[in-house]
Amino acid sequence: MLSYKNIAPFLNTHQNKASRWLSYIGLGIGVLLLLCSVQMYININELLKTKSPKKNGFDFIAVTKTVTDENMVGDHSFSASDLAELKQQKAIEDISPLIGNKFIMKANGGTMLPFETDFFAEAIDNNFLDTLPPSFKWSPGDPTVPIIISSDYFEIYNTLFAPSRDLPQFSEKTMSSIFIQLDCWGANSVKDSYRANIVALSDRINTVLVPKEFLQWANKKYANVDAFNPSRIYIKTKDANNPELLNFLQQKNYHVNKDKTKFGRIKQILQAIVSGLAGFGVLVILLAMVLFSFYLQLMIAKSKENLQLLLTLGYSPKWLSKTVAKKWIPVYIIVILSAVAVTALLHFGFQHFVMKDKEELSPFINWIVIVIAMALLFLSIAVNYRLVKKLLNKL
Amino acid sequence: MQISLQQIVPTFIEEEKISQSQIWNSNVVFNIGEKIQIIAPSGSGKTSLIHFLYGLRKDFNGTIQYDNNSIKNFDAEAFAIYRQQYISIVFQDLRLFTEQTVLQNLDIKRQLNPYHAEGKIEAMAKRLGIENKLNKLCSTCSYGEQQRIAIIRALQQPFNFLLLDEPFSHLDESNRKKAMELMEEESAVRNASIILADLKAIEYFKADRTLDL
Repeated sequence: MLSYKNIAPFLNTHQNKASRWLSYIGLGIGVLLLLCSVQMYININELLKTKSPKKNGFDFIAVTKTVTDENMVGDHSFSASDLAELKQQKAIEDISPLIGNKFIMKANGGTMLPFETDFFAEAIDNNFLDTLPPSFKWSPGDPTVPIIISSDYFEIYNTLFAPSRDLPQFSEKTMSSIFIQLDCWGANSVKDSYRANIVALSDRINTVLVPKEFLQWANKKYANVDAFNPSRIYIKTKDANNPELLNFLQQKNYHVNKDKTKFGRIKQILQAIVSGLAGFGVLVILLAMVLFSFYLQLMIAKSKENLQLLLTLGYSPKWLSKTVAKKWIPVYIIVILSAVAVTALLHFGFQHFVMKDKEELSPFINWIVIVIAMALLFLSIAVNYRLVKKLLNKL
Repeated sequence: MQISLQQIVPTFIEEEKISQSQIWNSNVVFNIGEKIQIIAPSGSGKTSLIHFLYGLRKDFNGTIQYDNNSIKNFDAEAFAIYRQQYISIVFQDLRLFTEQTVLQNLDIKRQLNPYHAEGKIEAMAKRLGIENKLNKLCSTCSYGEQQRIAIIRALQQPFNFLLLDEPFSHLDESNRKKAMELMEEESAVRNASIILADLKAIEYFKADRTLDL
């Protein structure tokens, strides 16, 4: 079987070794930059995902009416026309009011946790929740009320409340096993007690949430209130930083929680930086390929007479192209696989030493990175083959 | 297989050379098994004819056909197939790889489509008196030795036609005879045709036909 080995002595591959090695190194660096950037982009997404208000490409932000010195006394709730006006805005996809308790609520830890506190609860449409466990529902007669609290509140409990009162701290996993007692006070000092436990944490809704069915029923039972205007609403928008949206809200003197939008901004900036690095990586790869093509052109030019004679003696141009091009495949494989290995190592180091094994990050590189590496490998082999074929056809 | 020439005339040749020729502007057919001698004085276009037949050049009018296929329509791949299997050649300018050894020169042709086992190269080299040169660089061999190398190279493949362009110009009488014998034996084994173009008739080449170019 004829192979490259047979024609190797007739090809002038020894010249210009420096430019050849430079192009290998350049390719390696470029691929490494690109793969690391892609992995970092994914890491940023993963790390900032749970705290980010965005879900499926939308931002969810809380809006209230601004309380100023002038309007302190008075109603700060959203009327039906306010809500309708909001719904009409192009930048707003959907809105959901937060309804709050209109009666007195207290919570205590029972025998498990020695504390008692005034309590409050709100409810919102289920489709606005970022986490909705199947246990988050209630029907009249259920003795247990499931609660979703914001992860900020949970952190406040663990870092401030618990230590100051010698109460135990909980992890996210163990919190659902803790039951507290919820007392609801109605007219004539009528009190009902319910068991309650935290079934999930929310990064989006900054409050204590109970199922809407419970709160509506409880408001009716304990405060004799049916429907009422909400003081706080959540809006769903494609971009919380949309200037049109922010202008409208400012005009109406509505207050927006800027924290959540800032977070999205940080993520955007980080991802932009990383994208820039990826772009630079692509540039380096292109330069390396150009350098390598110069090497190939030089090699074939220097071997021109021999190659022409081989063709004269009956060697097939197709076979020559394929055989010469194939010689470089092992090099490409080694360079790109090495870049993948180094990326995997760097990512593992980042996940383990910098992020201290944070759960959100897998210690292994993402499959997208591997797919990109394979695509690059395929591309470089294909481009190389076409170049060799073109050069040989000119002979 | 058959090579046929129909009214071929090189684009560069003078009128008077055409009228006197039995090949230019004529219809000629070469069949396998035939031994054809072409007598071609200097300047008559002998090397051009051989190059036309081998497909190296296309600057002629008229048609050359391998069987019924005009070679003007052949691409590089088609020629490669014919040169591997059906047509072998000894160039007047030899066209060896000067930076490689004699053995490498012979092997690079043999490996493409071997007709003989490896050891036959040494046997042929011995027969033509160049067995001591096998591991030497081609460039260190004399012109006569290089001619013998070119001849042995042409015999490493199967062929229906062996094109020879002044193959003995730098060989002495004894070596000429040995080389001719070798080539006739190899052609007979393959039932192939020899087309020998030279300045004058070669007396020990028993041609079936002689044509004046």
